[in-house]
Amino acid sequence: MSAVSLIARDELRLMRRNRVAVTAVVLLVILTLVAVVTSWTHQQGIAAARAQHQAHADHAFEAQPDRHPHRVVHYGHFIFRPLGPLAAFDPGVDAFTGNSMFLEGHRQNTANFGDVRQSSPLIRFGQLTPAFVLQAVAPLLLIFLGYGAVARETERGTLRPLMLQGASARAIVLGKLLALGSVALLIAVPAMIGFALIAGQAGAYAGPMATIVLAYAAYLALWVGIVTLVSMLVRRRRDALLALLAVWAVTVVLLPRVAPEIANRAYPLANRLQTDVAIARDLRRLGDSHNPDDPHFAEFKKATLARYGVTRVEDLPVNYKGLLALEGEALTSRLFDHYAARDFAAQAAQNALVGAIGLVSPAIALRQTSMAAAGTDFEGHRRFLEQAEAYRYDLIQRLNRLQAEAVTYADDTAEDAGADKRKRITADHWRKLPEFGFRAAGPDALVRASLPGLAVLSGWLVVIGAALVLATRRLGARR
Amino acid sequence: MTLWRHETRLLLRSRLALAALILMALLSAAAVAAGMAEVARQHAAIDAVAAAQAEDIGAVADYVDRTKDAGSAAYYSFHPTWDSPAPLAFAAIGMRDVAPYILRVRALGLEAQIYDGDTFNPELALPGRFDFSFVLVFLAPLFAIALFHDLKSGEREAGRARMLDAMPGGRRLWFRRAMVRFALLLGALIVPFLVGAILSGVGVGAMLLIVIVAALYLLFWIGLAALVARLGHGSTANAATLAGLWLMLVLVIPTFANVAINRAVPVGQGSEIALAQRERVHAAWEIPREETMRRFYASHPQWADSPPLPQAFHYKWYFAFHQLGDESVADRVRAYRQGLERRAAIANSLGWVLPSVGVQALLTRLARTDLAAQLAYQDRIRAFHRDLREFYYGYMFRDRPFAKADFAHAPRFGAPLTP
Repeated sequence: MSAVSLIARDELRLMRRNRVAVTAVVLLVILTLVAVVTSWTHQQGIAAARAQHQAHADHAFEAQPDRHPHRVVHYGHFIFRPLGPLAAFDPGVDAFTGNSMFLEGHRQNTANFGDVRQSSPLIRFGQLTPAFVLQAVAPLLLIFLGYGAVARETERGTLRPLMLQGASARAIVLGKLLALGSVALLIAVPAMIGFALIAGQAGAYAGPMATIVLAYAAYLALWVGIVTLVSMLVRRRRDALLALLAVWAVTVVLLPRVAPEIANRAYPLANRLQTDVAIARDLRRLGDSHNPDDPHFAEFKKATLARYGVTRVEDLPVNYKGLLALEGEALTSRLFDHYAARDFAAQAAQNALVGAIGLVSPAIALRQTSMAAAGTDFEGHRRFLEQAEAYRYDLIQRLNRLQAEAVTYADDTAEDAGADKRKRITADHWRKLPEFGFRAAGPDALVRASLPGLAVLSGWLVVIGAALVLATRRLGARR
Repeated sequence: MTLWRHETRLLLRSRLALAALILMALLSAAAVAAGMAEVARQHAAIDAVAAAQAEDIGAVADYVDRTKDAGSAAYYSFHPTWDSPAPLAFAAIGMRDVAPYILRVRALGLEAQIYDGDTFNPELALPGRFDFSFVLVFLAPLFAIALFHDLKSGEREAGRARMLDAMPGGRRLWFRRAMVRFALLLGALIVPFLVGAILSGVGVGAMLLIVIVAALYLLFWIGLAALVARLGHGSTANAATLAGLWLMLVLVIPTFANVAINRAVPVGQGSEIALAQRERVHAAWEIPREETMRRFYASHPQWADSPPLPQAFHYKWYFAFHQLGDESVADRVRAYRQGLERRAAIANSLGWVLPSVGVQALLTRLARTDLAAQLAYQDRIRAFHRDLREFYYGYMFRDRPFAKADFAHAPRFGAPLTP
């Protein structure tokens, strides 16, 4: 048996004899299992509920009676953001964004009813998910089990006899790494069981899942390396423990909270009131359909009449009010897109800044990688918002087109007793309109989005690995 | 007194202790500064409302003035509401980063408006804010652990414990030592807070209360360290045990409790309210208009003497069915709200046994940034919305023209509450 595995076995035997250590590992395994089960059932429950709500909303939309198309523009449509299977592992921002949206003409609404405003206030302490356990709790356990790995030998003076017996410094360090690494593997197993539950579902792609496994493996390996390194550099066990706890507290607890604060300052977001007022202002400048003397709409009217070769809107073969609605919606929608792009850019810049701070906090890098691969990061929500807006625009313009083509101008402007009935078109039109279907990001896009964080983690691994090599040399020189 | 000074000097000679105290003070100061900057940003956003609103409503007034139609005025006019941060909000931002503190409403159906959010970046909200409550609840215990885990075991390991115990007044020595560490730690934590609180105009009572709460919270952790120390293990084992307890009490149990509470108190999704309200509102287009008016007048007799509906469209009918739509979901709204309150109440009562949760709940309550404060803001919006309806109905149902000057008479959102 090689010296490396002998030392590793010895280290593991010591851990097994330590009742506190065994209890801690067992507790963590149980905690992970609980996290796996609760977040899996939670995700299943949410996915089912949203699918049900969506079906209900679709049914309500299609069950509308004969109506004037513009009534349907205001009746609008509710859509719900579906939750992908990997959210059972890392729900990311799901609880922090609204997950339902009301789509209507003239207006762009916010996504509402996020869990963060509906659940108990304890949600701000964190969410019990496999991702949380592996990101925050597992490193702490590795610290408890490993801070003494080398420091203990240094403090008690057993390092020198060990080396005199022929164990090289390299073998000692590798043995300790191996022992702690196998513990890391052990505590990662339950979370991977969760993966087995997820893997069977539609939309659970192999690529992103492999990326997640890789990222967490790198992260835990990194902690194994950091713990061993500090244990080598520090001569007393207590100092090793305190130093490691400080590293953990700063990188896992403190920086993830400080980084957003910095990002918020660096790239402030405009609030909704200011955006709405700005959109209204731009709209008045572009073309105000409420203003009879508006140059844009006067021009539009002239062009429309010329196109059809008539002199009065009453003589048009189509309903002029429908054409106006089409033009008005096109104008507002362009502004919505413009301002949404501005907000998205600011948010992306904020997240990029947090990512840059992730260079010094592997926990941030891992969190971003994990959410990106699971499709539960801001980009995932943005996809939903953009698709929702595209769908809204398409739906509203189809309805406006129906108004232009299926309702006559004479009926549309009439106010006599029977006018209401003549303005309506038959209900089967609503059933012909397309339903909203969220297109989740494909596996390639998810993997690509998780690469920057993965690169940071790899960089850290290289740095810690090099430091370990150097420290091992110094340890060998102590002989 | 000299003994106290001596103990202080002794403690500050330890590199670890000095570094811990300085770091505590720096973190506390940074958190207070970050909280104050956030509150200043929110104040600035609220201050900027008036100018934006004046511009917006001016354009509506120009448009409506052509027809002098009160219904159009009501339909197109958005009215701002806001929830000014309380003086103490800087210490605990609470829900103010995910719930809107500015919301514009129209006199139309409120249930379709009141749940709207503001623009925020969910990835930034996810980890939680870096404010004083975070430093107190999450970080201060770690510093207490760093300073207290070896209070006695350190001397034992140095071989001085027996001698110190044998000296006259030995017990007082430990008390003195503990008190010095406690006082310095509390000072490092609380002085930046007090500076921030004075600058923000927090009342003396609230300040004192928070000092007491912070002191008690630190004492809880110090007591825990003393209990662990009695097990008689070395400094290292003490530190590991205490860090494990911290993990359980501050991270694991609260997250676990959140899952349990959300399970135990199911709350119907708020989106169901919005869906139901929409159905009721739009159903009005399918029934005779007089039917809607009859129902509306039955519950709002003060408008029943309004002239009958004309042949053409009239906004009073439109607003009547919007209000009926709101009223039809009142039961659901109440149930939804009670569910949220019940969840918060259970979480708060957990605070009696879990100090981390208790301190957080108390801070957000004092800072008016908790769920109760959010709901109180919603109540103020509802009251304001009632005033808006009354105001516009006075024109619509009496067929009074709505001229440019009338815009100035519209209700304005009241002065924000100050504790």
